[in-house]
Amino acid sequence: MPPAHDLTPFREQELAPAGNPAVVRSADGRWYTVTGPCPNCHANSVFRVAYGVLGPYKGRWLGRRSEPEPHSGSILVYCQCGFPHPDRPSESPDTGCGAFWDVPVP
Amino acid sequence: MTDLTRKRFAQLGQQLQLEQLTAVRKQAEGWRNGLTALTGLVGVVFVLKGRESVAGMPAVWRWTTAALLVLAFALLLTGALAAVRAAHGRLGQRMWLSGDRLMSAVLDEVEHTQDVLTTARRCSVVGLSAVVAAIAVSWVVPAEAAKDEKPAGPQVLVSTPVGITCGELVLSNGDAVTVRTGGKGKLRRIPAGDVRSLTPTSRC
Repeated sequence: MPPAHDLTPFREQELAPAGNPAVVRSADGRWYTVTGPCPNCHANSVFRVAYGVLGPYKGRWLGRRSEPEPHSGSILVYCQCGFPHPDRPSESPDTGCGAFWDVPVP
Repeated sequence: MTDLTRKRFAQLGQQLQLEQLTAVRKQAEGWRNGLTALTGLVGVVFVLKGRESVAGMPAVWRWTTAALLVLAFALLLTGALAAVRAAHGRLGQRMWLSGDRLMSAVLDEVEHTQDVLTTARRCSVVGLSAVVAAIAVSWVVPAEAAKDEKPAGPQVLVSTPVGITCGELVLSNGDAVTVRTGGKGKLRRIPAGDVRSLTPTSRC
């Protein structure tokens, strides 16, 4: 049973990942889904990172684009739990507790 | 140590995921307007300065000009329609509007819009080049040689006791009939007394 959500005061801080976050690539290879608990407020988070497709595609005339190269290194994930954490500035684009962490891509 | 810049860029990436379709649409609108303006500009500048008609050009060049203009029209029309398609695409048509599928559809649409925009650019550039080539042909190619030009006056056959003379009728009065004969336009005067008959003809 995962720990209950903790309504901690809003604070932007970098933390080590908690638990074993899962990084799954979509079937067509165009985005990654990172799931795991927030190391600060313990909310389960789902974070998606899509491959940017803006700009003309180089290297072909016809046919479908090839699958993008796999992401290397780690993906920075930030909390988007949606709970009203106290002290969060109203102008902040954050929707979580402010914590962020790196999840290595396998 | 907390590096907030990394987080800000991660936030920007999340925002861009949602807004890339809007961004590519704006980009396509800019290209559509630019290509339309360029096509209009080239059309006005070159067509007004060019020859008014292809009549008088040798047949080969006349057909070449016509083919270039037809090709240019087809390419510019395709380019214009592609640019409009890129600027006003259809998203979410005949599909389940679930989050996953819509995310896939947005990525597909952004890629497709880029491809269509590339097609629009290529068609417009080749089409404009074809227009310029057609106008250049009409400027450079001279009119057909004088032998093929229509004479100013009627062609006549003048029958005399010594033979028949064919040429362009220049003057005819009670004294003589004057005709222009040959390719060099040499004038020949035939006294009225020698003329047996004067017959119009289509060509000599």
